[in-house]
Amino acid sequence: MKPSNGCAVVGVGYTSQGRVPGRTMLSFHVEAAAQAIADAGLTGKDIDGLICYRHFPAATGEPDVTPYLVAEHLGISPTYLSQEANCARSHLLHAIAALEAGECNYVVISYGHNALSSDSILKLLYQKGSEEMVFGHFGATADYALAARRAMHLFGTGPETWKHIAVGQRKWANLNPRAMHHGRPMTFDDYFNSRLVVEPFRLFDNCLITDGGRACVVTTVERARDLPHRPVRIMGFGHHHPSSGVQRARHLAGPTGAKRAGERALRMAGVALSDIDACEIYDCFTYTVEITLQDLGFFGPGEGADWFAGGRIEPGGAMPVNTSGGLLSESYQMGLTPVTEAVMQLMGRCGDRQMGPATRTKEPEVILCTDNGGTLQSCACYVFGRE
Amino acid sequence: MDNVKPLPLINGDNEQFWKGCARHELRFQKCRRCGFVRWPPSFLCPECHYTDAEMIRASGRGRVYSFVVYHMAYHQGFTDDLPYVVALVELAEGPRFLSNIVGCEPDDVACDMPVEVVWDDIGEWSLPKFRLLP
Ligand SMILES: [Zn+2]
Repeated sequence: MKPSNGCAVVGVGYTSQGRVPGRTMLSFHVEAAAQAIADAGLTGKDIDGLICYRHFPAATGEPDVTPYLVAEHLGISPTYLSQEANCARSHLLHAIAALEAGECNYVVISYGHNALSSDSILKLLYQKGSEEMVFGHFGATADYALAARRAMHLFGTGPETWKHIAVGQRKWANLNPRAMHHGRPMTFDDYFNSRLVVEPFRLFDNCLITDGGRACVVTTVERARDLPHRPVRIMGFGHHHPSSGVQRARHLAGPTGAKRAGERALRMAGVALSDIDACEIYDCFTYTVEITLQDLGFFGPGEGADWFAGGRIEPGGAMPVNTSGGLLSESYQMGLTPVTEAVMQLMGRCGDRQMGPATRTKEPEVILCTDNGGTLQSCACYVFGRE
Repeated sequence: MDNVKPLPLINGDNEQFWKGCARHELRFQKCRRCGFVRWPPSFLCPECHYTDAEMIRASGRGRVYSFVVYHMAYHQGFTDDLPYVVALVELAEGPRFLSNIVGCEPDDVACDMPVEVVWDDIGEWSLPKFRLLP
């Protein structure tokens, strides 16, 4: 493992998001990528690497969103082209490798989905193996609920812990005009009154389903100095893929992949947890935030309820978490929700939710970020710093 | 959407398991080299990569490793069952098997409770489900 690397994120691309009918999955990928390229002060001609997030089932009447298609629609012919076939999350690592190998100068990572307005998610749901469907078991909510239930049994977590995560992140979303839940405050009572979906999860333990896309541009720190925004250095990264699905998994109540991924990322970055100013954690469910922060070492098993209490992760708190509102309250853009928010915070471009005096929090210098695939089957951890 | 429940789809890996179920036998692969009993079914042993396995008949007894209660049907075939319990049952022989806990109220279920297999016959198929033991 190298002590540090010389890559940085230099641009972020947003699209309309929320319920945006009449748009294809491909159109969100392409719009987000083009926005990110422009945000970085570049043009399509500069882009020689393209990495697309997971290939979701195509909605009826739409083509499969392959990286060929995204490249074609962007009018680019990259030297490096890839896409995760399933849910494993190593996109930034791929970008860094392509840049450091000298294969690329500017790499775009993109995601897009018309998840809310198309039948793509329904198709995904029924891809589950027949052995599970015959017992009425479908989808990620129930898989994560199985993990969360075991954690409740083992170390006494549950809704009394998760309410702090749901409500705390909602407060950040209320400061973010782009967030799907902007303008919709949530109280603890609202959390407990949300309907049970797959117990122990309520609706507000679940992430959003979103139409939209997100992208970012990665380059070398050297090249980044010539671009318009203050570069955000990738100080360290670590990955771990426990891989097994819920039946064979032995990591459902921790330690998850976050433990090894976090240790590796912090070591490479040369920082300790006490140096971290904020966390942008992949939050497909409230429990995911708890088990990830627990496995990263912020608190011991079962100590989450006390750690989260008193608004620690909220605006004004000592450890802001998911400052855009996250997947729970901003929008579901896979791992690019946390990554792009870390980058925007470190660039100082977050408006009302910007860390610092505006939100009575620390000025961010170092932000820890995670991405998570499958049912806790993959964890990628990144430490970003102001260059 | 179809309101008929899905049935198992047979493939080269799971065929022996479901054939056993049709005889009300819960059968798993056991590695002939290291003895690891595995589920889901697979071509080789994930512990030692040995391909030769015998099919052992499990006792059908185990405990609830974890469970969830569905309050929403993701498929119309399960609407009338709501609320229903899906559990990871850790069998005495080692593997964890995803199934249903039946014959009780969802509130009666807790982690680590002992359970035993009961058979749900649907036409030519038999699905292994579990009930709480006193
Ligand atoms: Zn073996």
